[in-house]
Amino acid sequence: MAELLITKTKQKFTSFVSEIKEYFKIALRNLKMRSLRSWLTILGIVIGVFLIVSLLSLSEGIKTTITKQLKSLGGEMIFVMPGDISNPLSMFIGGTKLEKEDIEAIQKTSGVDKVVTLSYQSVVARYKEEGKTIFLGGFPLETGMEILKNYQGWSLAEGRWPAIGRKEVVVGQQVAKTIFAKKVQVGTDINLKGQKFKIVGILNSLGSKTDDSFIYMDMSLYQGLTGEKRGTAQQVLVRVEEGASTNNVAEKIKENLSRTRKRKAGTDTADFSVITSERMGDIAGNILAIIQLAIVAFASIAIIVGGIGITNTMFTSVRERTREIGIMKAIGAKNYTVLSIFLIEAGIIGFVGGIGGTLLGAILAKLVELYGQIHPLFYFSASVTPGLVFFGLFFSFFVGCISGFFPARKAAKMKPVEALRRYE
Amino acid sequence: MTEPVIQLRDVWKTYQMDKVELVALKGINLDINRGAFVAIMGPSGSGKSTLLNMIGCLDVPTKGKVFLDNKDISLLSEDELSRLRGKTIGFIFQEFNLLSHLTAIENVMLPMIFQGSPLQEREGKAKELLISVGLEKRIFHFPTELSGGERQRVAVARAFANDPEIVIADEPTGNLDSLTGKKIMEILTNFHKKEGKTIVVVTHDPNIAGYSKEIINIKDGEIIHNHKQTAEILWQNY
Repeated sequence: MAELLITKTKQKFTSFVSEIKEYFKIALRNLKMRSLRSWLTILGIVIGVFLIVSLLSLSEGIKTTITKQLKSLGGEMIFVMPGDISNPLSMFIGGTKLEKEDIEAIQKTSGVDKVVTLSYQSVVARYKEEGKTIFLGGFPLETGMEILKNYQGWSLAEGRWPAIGRKEVVVGQQVAKTIFAKKVQVGTDINLKGQKFKIVGILNSLGSKTDDSFIYMDMSLYQGLTGEKRGTAQQVLVRVEEGASTNNVAEKIKENLSRTRKRKAGTDTADFSVITSERMGDIAGNILAIIQLAIVAFASIAIIVGGIGITNTMFTSVRERTREIGIMKAIGAKNYTVLSIFLIEAGIIGFVGGIGGTLLGAILAKLVELYGQIHPLFYFSASVTPGLVFFGLFFSFFVGCISGFFPARKAAKMKPVEALRRYE
Repeated sequence: MTEPVIQLRDVWKTYQMDKVELVALKGINLDINRGAFVAIMGPSGSGKSTLLNMIGCLDVPTKGKVFLDNKDISLLSEDELSRLRGKTIGFIFQEFNLLSHLTAIENVMLPMIFQGSPLQEREGKAKELLISVGLEKRIFHFPTELSGGERQRVAVARAFANDPEIVIADEPTGNLDSLTGKKIMEILTNFHKKEGKTIVVVTHDPNIAGYSKEIINIKDGEIIHNHKQTAEILWQNY
């Protein structure tokens, strides 16, 4: 008895599958019959899916790049920089520096293990008769090297680290490979602000194009060359003692700093920022999340418009094919048969649109990535994940079916006589 | 032998047109017996198309009952009726009503698809039918590539696809010249004679009616005369 039931169910299933296959064929033929209109409708979906896939894969790529960079900073770092980070304008004003007292105050804060001061400015560099404006960065070799190596992931691709007290520099990947017409070689000289320096090492990529476009030297050398006041810095990198809470230490640094700043400048405003690397990641993550939300919202509007296009096309199609529906019903088509055929048509429109949009979106994202590699600004990567591709295809198919539902139901509900009588 | 396939019992059909009520059928009682060849005749506006829709179970009466294979169709769901209609009744229309984007064989297979018969069975049967109506060279042609007579022959093949008990033809020769029309009628009578199919033809052409064994005249929604005897004489001559 049970066996009979199973074979019967099996038979039903195979006949169901073959039926759907036939409906699929019929639907495909119908679409081909109205090929221009079908393609135009598909185009509507292509644009929507294209927007979603390209923009999401790019923003996702930026997110991964940023997260990777932040991860390389290590979890227990605190950045202190002049200017209020919550006020983007102050970041561009520049000029403000952390004074000697400020740095001492940071150093004295309990929980602070090591402090690395950083300064930078653009200088004119001449390498083998070629002059370029380039970023010069200074950090204390003696105290800072270890932290940069261990927690910032600095490493050498070639050569050695500069020796203290000698006029030696290391250069980033961009400086070495792309900035000068001639490839920079270890052991050659470079002229900075009229003084000769020896290039002793080339760094491995530090993760961002900007950081890779620097020439780095010892802080005292830097301040001697640029005339920056000794003991000051533009940024301070703080390594927290093991076991100390990064956030607590950051709070304490803030307190101490505002005390010294107040004494000196007599202002109440916080003209410096203390950020933990964790918080930096949060800020970047939040901004990107908002951007992604906006992308999804706008692209969704495009897809909804595309979906309305499908509904419109299908309604027209139902109207045109009223007679055909009547014939099919007269010769034995059930309501769900007609419903299936029309739904499959709408689904195909959506799905084909999805394929086109996903493909174009992925291509655009990869092109932008390629452009970013050729014209260095930022290490751009487009992450066209399988999930995103699946989403693009499935979602567009789904939109097609939803958009086609009402026209299909209208077709299915037609009475055969009325459908046949129409246009007679 | 005389067991009815379709029975109409006191069938009324009224159409509501704005404020006027149009009575198309006025209490029709009719049995279509198994193996019969019936012609329904009447002037236009007499209600013959409405009657045909009733016999073909394409429409439901306002009052009265229609039995298809002894089943009251008003008790069937729409899908059940579709299935039963597809299995029991084949249709031939004046305008051929083929699906233009399907080839001849696909058009013939369509009713079988709706009944869920397997592919090989469908293909074999459809080919066989197309050959029997003399279209062996047109099997994979689209309707637009066929002449009117050929299209109607495809439609005839389609009507017989599911081995129906009854085939209903609505002015099957109305859009054809007399010679082609005659051929179509010959094919129909052939199916009737060889396979004993029940055939109902609606026509206003007495020549076509002459093929049938039984003539039903309808006027103003009522059956007015039964020309059975005359028809039988005609049939014997054929």
